[in-house]
Amino acid sequence: MTAKGYFTEHRRLWLGLCSVFFVVSVWELVLTYIFPVNPFFFTKPSLIAAAFKEQIQGAKLWHDLAVSSRAFLWGFSFAVIVGIPVGLVMGWRRRVEYSLDPFLTALYASPLVALAPLFIIVFGVGVLGKAALVFLLSVFPFVFNAFAGVKSTDSLLINVIRSFGGSEKDLYLKVILPSTMPYIIAGARLAIGRGLVGIIVGEFYAASEGIGFAITQAGDTYRLPDMFVGIIILSLIAVVLTELMRKLEMTVAPWRASEEVR
Amino acid sequence: MKLKNFYTEQEPFILGTGFIVALLVLWESVPLWYTLPRGMTLFFTTPSKIAAAFYELLFNGEIEKHFYVSAVAFLAGLGLSIIVGLPVGLIIGRSPTLEAWLDPYVTAFNATPRIVLLPLLILWFGIGIWSKIMIVFAGAVFPLLINTYAGVKNVNRVLVDVVRSFGANEWQLMKIVVLPNSVPYIIAGLRLAIGRAILGVVVGEFFGSSQGLGYMIASAATNYKVDVVFVGVAIFMALSVILTLAVKQLESRLASWRPETAKTF
Repeated sequence: MTAKGYFTEHRRLWLGLCSVFFVVSVWELVLTYIFPVNPFFFTKPSLIAAAFKEQIQGAKLWHDLAVSSRAFLWGFSFAVIVGIPVGLVMGWRRRVEYSLDPFLTALYASPLVALAPLFIIVFGVGVLGKAALVFLLSVFPFVFNAFAGVKSTDSLLINVIRSFGGSEKDLYLKVILPSTMPYIIAGARLAIGRGLVGIIVGEFYAASEGIGFAITQAGDTYRLPDMFVGIIILSLIAVVLTELMRKLEMTVAPWRASEEVR
Repeated sequence: MKLKNFYTEQEPFILGTGFIVALLVLWESVPLWYTLPRGMTLFFTTPSKIAAAFYELLFNGEIEKHFYVSAVAFLAGLGLSIIVGLPVGLIIGRSPTLEAWLDPYVTAFNATPRIVLLPLLILWFGIGIWSKIMIVFAGAVFPLLINTYAGVKNVNRVLVDVVRSFGANEWQLMKIVVLPNSVPYIIAGLRLAIGRAILGVVVGEFFGSSQGLGYMIASAATNYKVDVVFVGVAIFMALSVILTLAVKQLESRLASWRPETAKTF
């Protein structure tokens, strides 16, 4: 393949890379030569890169990440454990749907992060408060996506299980849960974003360690490069997790689209 | 018999409100059947106390004052994000080169919770209205931009070709085909943007503010005035639900003519 052919094929990727390179170099050059602003309020890529390298080699960043991810994983796991069953039952039992739907919809629509100060004073600044916040924010995407998944289950499959004398348990485990999987993964993608908000706000509000705390602390002491490092690492994590879920969605969804009966 | 018919017809409504009422009654009755440990009474409140606190705050003008501050930040930030998000979405929807050029930033920012930018924005814009407007803007602009983009991408090729063949320029094409086609998507984006904007107001006022409903919640929490915290949370809940429902109404009204349901991101 010629170089030109290669370029047109991956045009999007190359343009994107060029654009990032362009912006970073303009930022660097403008701040170095043309408009050297106060380093307390603005910083440039070379300083951020130096801070990045230093932090990666140090122990504090990894400790902060470990603290934050522990709280995140606790909250997120509970959201999975609670959210999916509630969603499944809501989708399957009409009366449960009628009872829970208005209540949960109202909670889902509202900014529950407003409860953060209360959670922190009740549960403390440690893992528990943050995990509770993550749970509260990330449980609803699981509930509503599992619910939507059940609602869209092929009723033919349900009838087949019923005709062959399958029990209620078979229905859940063999038909409803598998056909709901793509929806649940889509829900997980949303839940990750909301869970990250929970961690960040919890740590901004009150914490003594964690990545959110590292960012605020860097901000309070005017260490702009360190602050940018924290922000960049958080966005990297967010992008990687979201893209992973998108990939997972794509690998799970085709099987559903082909509607193979297993 | 009549009563039974009435029940079957109204079952969703009866069960839905019944559940909420039952929860509130249960919550209210907790002190009657369970004596809380001494430490917990500090954090506990009941719906009746919350209602009393709401009534009091409403009449001494506290809520009005904070609400006004929050509303200004919300409206200014959302307005700014519409002014920026719509044109950028339309343009990158029409120009693949610009789209590829901006895509890395849009993807990265959209995946990242923009709340993380708050300390930076407070540093740059100070404690006050501007840092709040900017965090609301940062939260709300991406859903609008991406949905507008999706709407433009989804436009019917045939319509574009027809308008082109009759000699329309890009501007007329935009006005006649692209914009009307994108409206349902834009409305769906607006619904998401409202949620993000309210989140921005709340969290922005937790930290970068000395006024507003979010500040009211945060300062009440520090003083262990749990009922006031719940008053603030309830106001935010009511506002979000009302705004979301209003936009959903608008969406379903527009849905009557649109060919397929708008995908929201």
